[in-house]
Amino acid sequence: MKKALVIIPAYNEEGNIIKTVEDIKKNAPSFDYVIINDCSKDDTMRLCEKSGYNVVNMPLNSGIGAAVQCGYLYAKRYGYEYAVQVDGDGQHDAAFLEEMLSIIKTEKMNMLIGSRFIEKEGFQSSGARRMGINWFSRLIKIFTGETVTDPTSGMRMVGRDVINFFAEEYPKDYPEPETAITVLKLGYTLKEIPVRMKAREEGTSSISFKRAIYYMFKVTIACFMAGIGYEKYKKEDFMDRSYGGEKL
Amino acid sequence: MMFRLQLIIAVATLIAFLYVGSKVKKRVIELKYALVWFFVAILFLVIDIFPGTLEYLSDLMGIELPINMLMLFGFGFILLILYTFTIVITNQDRRIKRLIQETALLNYRLEEIEGALKKENIKVKKIKTRTADEGPEHKVKLVKEKKEVSETLEEEE
Repeated sequence: MKKALVIIPAYNEEGNIIKTVEDIKKNAPSFDYVIINDCSKDDTMRLCEKSGYNVVNMPLNSGIGAAVQCGYLYAKRYGYEYAVQVDGDGQHDAAFLEEMLSIIKTEKMNMLIGSRFIEKEGFQSSGARRMGINWFSRLIKIFTGETVTDPTSGMRMVGRDVINFFAEEYPKDYPEPETAITVLKLGYTLKEIPVRMKAREEGTSSISFKRAIYYMFKVTIACFMAGIGYEKYKKEDFMDRSYGGEKL
Repeated sequence: MMFRLQLIIAVATLIAFLYVGSKVKKRVIELKYALVWFFVAILFLVIDIFPGTLEYLSDLMGIELPINMLMLFGFGFILLILYTFTIVITNQDRRIKRLIQETALLNYRLEEIEGALKKENIKVKKIKTRTADEGPEHKVKLVKEKKEVSETLEEEE
């Protein structure tokens, strides 16, 4: 078994899932992967099983947050030291995973975010979205003092301690900006590295135009909640005393 | 006028009280979650039987008509009840989420084990007769089947 895990949450991704997994197998050989199929209504499950992919099937549809958290729970149970989340829609380039892994290892970071906006290469998202992203960037700066250029990036790699934390506590939907604040507030180290992302090829983004309002409202409040005041958890609660992981 | 209203409220509250009570008896409503309803009903009855408290309070708060005070009370109670339910929902939400995740991982683990057994040509068979004091591992039996591969090899030879 390898030490790093790619978590691929998938909901109705029959058009992208094979490409995503093959990309990881080919370009990220130091990673195991697990697909968390969030009760897809399309052929995702059958496709995965036919291809012999490593897939965990959620018995009920419970949202992206719960699916990703299930991936972190998997990483914790099976004793992975690093976990990275990659969207099942083929937007993320697996070639960057190896680079991220070596950086998180050598610089001993707790969390690494792949940012589209450091070198401004590849798919840069639309203008309206950029505005939203800037807004969250600013919120994070205010609450934590740290600069995160791409707070909505789904490409996030974390070490063992943050795996333990996410397995315990992870937002139900649209978790990215909020968890960046929480992780920093808990005193973990966080760094961004430049990555290139592709535009989505098939299927629709989970953030359709109709949900944009909900997204902005929810995530803004969540950022304020995470940024201000009392924090229930302490960093020490998730310290890993048994590196190598608990055995099942 | 005031007495008629008092009577109507008292009767309505009592009926509601008894109705919720009967639902609790039928296990339709969990007593724990009915408590907040009982609490509100009792407060309503107290206010209804002693309207003096209502007049005193409305005077205190500068409300001209005591009936408006009653409205305010009702509104407050509804908020209280909704608040308790929000907490209940949140709690259940978290638990359900964790259950779904655990079920998914358990299923995965089971498939893993079944797959490993299948590789070894071992089938899991249920044993019908079992005694109650034995653990779950005694309820199944692992049966190693003859390998079909070797048979086909022999035929080829």
